[in-house]
Amino acid sequence: MPRSRLEDATRHLGCYGLLAPTFVLVGVFSLIPFVWAFTTSFYRYEIGGDPTFVGLSNYGEYLSDPTLGISFRNLAFLTAFSVIVSVVFPLGVAKLIFSLSSARARYIYRIVFLVPIVVPGVATLMIWGGMIYGDNGLVNESLRLLGLEHLARGWLSSPETVLWAVAFIGFPFAGGINILIYYAGLAAIPESVHEAAQLDGASGLGKFFRIDLPLVLSQIKLLVILTVIGAVQGFQGMFILTRGGPGFESMVPGLWMYFNAFSFQRMGYACAMGVILFLIILVLTVLNLKYFKSAEDVKAAT
Amino acid sequence: MVEYAPRADVPRGAADFSRGTRLVKAKYILLVAIVAGCVWALWPPSQQEAGIQQGGRPEDPVKAARPYQIRMAPALYLPGTMPQNVGEPLKGLVRVAERFEELYPDTYVRFVGTPGVREWLVTQLSAGLAPDILNVNVEDVWQDVHKGWYVPLDEYLDRPNPFVPAGQPGSRQWWDLFKYQAITRGKAAPDGKSYCISFDMVETGIFYNKDIFERLSLAPPKDWVEFDRLQTTLREAGYIPTLASLVAASDWGVDLVFDQLYYPILPGIDLKKDPAREAYLEGYLDWDEICFLYRKGFFTRRDPRWVEMWRILKDWRRHWNQDIATADMMRLFITQKGAMYWSASWDVNRLTRDPDVPFRWGVFYPPPIPPQYDAYADGHPMCVIGGAAMQYVVTNTAFSDTGDPATSERLKRAVAFLQFLTLPENAGPVISEVLSMLPNVRGVEPHEELRPFDEILRRRYTTTKWSYTFDMRFNEVFIRMFDLYLNGGIDDDAYLDWSDRNLDFAVETTVRRKNVDFAELERAWEALAPLRRNMKGLPDAAK
Repeated sequence: MPRSRLEDATRHLGCYGLLAPTFVLVGVFSLIPFVWAFTTSFYRYEIGGDPTFVGLSNYGEYLSDPTLGISFRNLAFLTAFSVIVSVVFPLGVAKLIFSLSSARARYIYRIVFLVPIVVPGVATLMIWGGMIYGDNGLVNESLRLLGLEHLARGWLSSPETVLWAVAFIGFPFAGGINILIYYAGLAAIPESVHEAAQLDGASGLGKFFRIDLPLVLSQIKLLVILTVIGAVQGFQGMFILTRGGPGFESMVPGLWMYFNAFSFQRMGYACAMGVILFLIILVLTVLNLKYFKSAEDVKAAT
Repeated sequence: MVEYAPRADVPRGAADFSRGTRLVKAKYILLVAIVAGCVWALWPPSQQEAGIQQGGRPEDPVKAARPYQIRMAPALYLPGTMPQNVGEPLKGLVRVAERFEELYPDTYVRFVGTPGVREWLVTQLSAGLAPDILNVNVEDVWQDVHKGWYVPLDEYLDRPNPFVPAGQPGSRQWWDLFKYQAITRGKAAPDGKSYCISFDMVETGIFYNKDIFERLSLAPPKDWVEFDRLQTTLREAGYIPTLASLVAASDWGVDLVFDQLYYPILPGIDLKKDPAREAYLEGYLDWDEICFLYRKGFFTRRDPRWVEMWRILKDWRRHWNQDIATADMMRLFITQKGAMYWSASWDVNRLTRDPDVPFRWGVFYPPPIPPQYDAYADGHPMCVIGGAAMQYVVTNTAFSDTGDPATSERLKRAVAFLQFLTLPENAGPVISEVLSMLPNVRGVEPHEELRPFDEILRRRYTTTKWSYTFDMRFNEVFIRMFDLYLNGGIDDDAYLDWSDRNLDFAVETTVRRKNVDFAELERAWEALAPLRRNMKGLPDAAK
């Protein structure tokens, strides 16, 4: 006799109980704020003031916001730059470490490249802003030492250089967790595949592009998604270093949303911007999942 | 093959270590000892040993049990801190609080530091958790007055300060205790109420290196033409002529040049005569007048004075340091790379007390723009654009005991503390602990080093303060685009486009939020038409 649904539910009550706190926390801290933000985006609302229903006018206003064009242009540049450097450089470093013959050397290099992640991101930004790009920072002092004083400048305050200066923060982009993700991907490739490739005459770069790269596509896909989400949502770097300036030359939508919410107290408008950013991330993630092949897709195709 | 045999001197069952194991153990012990030594060496001294204690007084459990707890965030005068890292930790306010607590044994005054950012302010005020007394810039207050976060102080200012002896300034009205009346009363919000006490004043000026000036046989300039020539000479001698920041340019620079060009036509455009404020503010253009005039074509690309104002500032920019946003101007001045430093009285503290300042310095005020430099200027002296430094407001926390300002005992004590603080014998020692600000209390003289700023502050007040006129969005966009303009990121045309769009938005928002009625201003505008008839350079719509 089949068990009733009630019996099933009772039998799994313990599991539901264990999952419940997670669902409650996700609901309270993620889903409810999202619903609240979506609702607020239809109101003109200041903290401490009374909300007024304005329908879609916040969305309409954003379409004519003077920062819209430049902030999305900056966002596209920085996202593309981040995706490229977060895919290319860590993969190269991971491959080099993986190719070392000594297990001890591999371990030490992994540690060396991982250690910088313990430095808080804000501290890293302050170091770049003050010690590297500052008036008397590494870049300007090096230029002066080389007799190129005329090239010294406020790298973060000059409209010509600010975006590149921000993009290059983290150079040479070889630290952090991305290397470990790639390393795990490379380590997961069966030895038999390498041996078969060698028998077929593949070696060096050829082997890397034909064997390693297709088999770490899952890792690349994951990192692309994480990097895009991080780039679209993130604005802390701009906030700390440039506040989006000079002018709006390094403004990104997330930072303008922040200013509108907490400086100008235009909560409804900021919520509308947040909803638009959410939709952009959603579309990019879906496109990535749909059209970017993973290692499993490659294996299935072959 | 070596066989293991238990050592004879070790009892059976006890641990036995080989030499290698002992070495490893010794290594760990040494490591722990080094770490412990480092921790001991780097352990911060106790607050008393360091001589610094945030808030300046240890927590007193007896006083902490008193029914009325007042928290004050005094900003610059926070006891225990050392402004600009020179001098001794501040104690002045603690002494005032102790004397006040003797008068009010049911009250305890604490001093706290605050982040000083708007995000913090908004969240604390909306939650009713802000300190009872707080230093807030007036433009922040004006934006939020309708939310009930701040207590209007007019009823207290209009009445006697109860701590002032009869016959002394302040015994009739608390207002009378303040020295710089124009600026103090000018802090009234657009709703006509005063929400802050201007405790002290800051004024701007140009610090100059007297040694460099003497070497090059230079003297402070008498007008803008001389000023321009002076800066050219300094540049040719290898110095940065003027060290200036974006903040100085966007706030002070705009107001100064605006006054130079618009003061001559002020009789034709000053539409509102507020009897309460006119005596002090002499034709100050308020936000509603600015909105009205904007709709008449002023402050747009169709207004020749407006266009000229930006040109003058851009022209001055060529004499400044390259990086106006992030460069350490004080460092460039002290290391004598820059000959002049456009700053404010707050830097007197550092220049006076820092032993590393190796030269003599003086202060002068930007000179007037004569008609031969600009056709719209008449050469009148530059106005005052500085103003209140510490602006103490009383927040909604102060009446949280009853929720009603009319019945709150805590609020009475918070206001009483401010009244007590503004007595000359209390304000003087507090303000003079830091050589930065000028006392705004009658009977308290500024320090000798600050006297030049005191003289500057006696000038006529500015025609308007652009940074107080609109909301924070306007200021944010304006400063950003002005920065870009000064640094060559956009040309004159593009900048004026941005300026027009920004003002469009700001005026529209202001008119909507504050329900501006232009009818009365329109009548005043018509009445002033004969005066405008002979004025040159007005926008077409204003003729």
